[in-house]
Amino acid sequence: MCDMPWNKSGFFEGEVSLHEGLKMAKTDNGIRICQGLLILGNVVIGMCGIALTAECIFFVSDPHGLYPLLEATENNDIYAAAWIGIFVGFALLALSILGIVGVMKSSKTLLLVYIILMLITYAFEMASCITAATHRDFLTPNLFLKQMLERYMKSDTDNNNDKQMTEGVTKTWDNLMLQNQCCGVHGPLDWQEYTSAFRMTHNDADYPWPHNCCVMNTRSEPINLDGCKLGVPGFYNSNGCYDAISGPLNRQAWGVAWFGFAILCWTFCVLLGTMFYWSRIAY
Amino acid sequence: MHPLLLLLLATAHGLDKLSYKPTLVGGNVEGRMTGSTFVLEQPRCVFDSYSTANIWLVVATREGMDAFNDSAQPGMPEWSFQRFPTNTSAYLTLGAMQYHYGCPKPDRELTVLRVGSETDCADNISVPNCNGPLPGPGPYWVKFLALNGSEPTATTEWSGPITLKTAREPQSIPGTGGARSGAMIAITAILSVLLAILLAALLATLCSSEACGVGSFRPDAASIRRYNTHHVYDQPAARL
Repeated sequence: MCDMPWNKSGFFEGEVSLHEGLKMAKTDNGIRICQGLLILGNVVIGMCGIALTAECIFFVSDPHGLYPLLEATENNDIYAAAWIGIFVGFALLALSILGIVGVMKSSKTLLLVYIILMLITYAFEMASCITAATHRDFLTPNLFLKQMLERYMKSDTDNNNDKQMTEGVTKTWDNLMLQNQCCGVHGPLDWQEYTSAFRMTHNDADYPWPHNCCVMNTRSEPINLDGCKLGVPGFYNSNGCYDAISGPLNRQAWGVAWFGFAILCWTFCVLLGTMFYWSRIAY
Repeated sequence: MHPLLLLLLATAHGLDKLSYKPTLVGGNVEGRMTGSTFVLEQPRCVFDSYSTANIWLVVATREGMDAFNDSAQPGMPEWSFQRFPTNTSAYLTLGAMQYHYGCPKPDRELTVLRVGSETDCADNISVPNCNGPLPGPGPYWVKFLALNGSEPTATTEWSGPITLKTAREPQSIPGTGGARSGAMIAITAILSVLLAILLAALLATLCSSEACGVGSFRPDAASIRRYNTHHVYDQPAARL
């Protein structure tokens, strides 16, 4: 009854009245349960932090090679959101350990530090979620169509930055069309409906659409170039690449945004519980 | 008898007008009309009775169609591709022997003529029958002409007007920005509210302790009140 772990400040053993002693016994179980719940909550936060870091590292590593497309739109904030997610994940892991130690020792100082740092981490993670969700909304088919027409195989670049972005876009589209057997954003007719930088250097009769839209054999040559130029089914790729672009980008944006949102809801509950617990500790 | 013979001779040298009308190839060929080419069906089973003839394609503008003279010769500069359409209003191209268009049409093959596919001879005046890319969106009219040596023996009807695609500028693509989705609004709103509640709770917690304002203990059931009944201060023995 006397050496209660949640109150480490000393007091006169004999000075405590019986009334107070009974009250302590009743609330002892409550305090234990509170501690247990907070430790459990912090363990979950720690594990979610590791998962968030892993997920964000996966996204930042860009397995589908789509980063140059976003860089050229100057709208690559969903990658910024993933970067923030990596550091927030580490912070959540570290703070959850701090929280567990603070709860077990019932230290007001440690828990106050924990609460304040957790609030800062909360704010950063909130920024990451909102950024990922907002910038996902900018990624429409017309955005990629305009970029493809203006940059793919562009030959007269203004400066070094422009040249780099153009090369990135060209390489990415070539890879996309070859690996996903697709052509253009909506289809090969994108190249016919609009003029483009590609059209400046490749005439319409020989290249109604880029030769990467043709069905290739094992040596990366078109199996029938005339059939491809005519647009005969079976010799060219008639579907658009938009699904191959938007699929991974959507998964990234929603993965960062919704998982972060779930972690923050849980963290909200744990923080409220910690503040309640903190207010119950006396010096 | 002599007038009859003369009449027979006249028809032998006359021009047969066939009722065939050249058509574009069917819709499943996606390149049937591009910015500078179009694809026609081959005139199979049309020139069967002219087995020694050369079949030529005549491409003309409106003026060319009206003014076309069937005694055109393929090698002549008046009917060359390179002078089309500024100095001449029609040209002949895609010459082939009649046996290339044999009947019946082979079942599983695609039999087409792509007008405008040769780019290397487009500026070469020594190749007047070049099947070069068409210089503008048109409209163009085409017909087939069968020539036996230099004599025209048969001709089809003129096709309907063929107008090629005109490409638009990419700047005309509308709306490259997106609308706000419901999910993003939900995330922003809910997280903002939660953060506000947390900050309020933090303030309430800090102010309920002696950190701000009042400074007196609340008579709380779970907190222990310290008191010195024997007026003894700092007794080390009592500290456990």
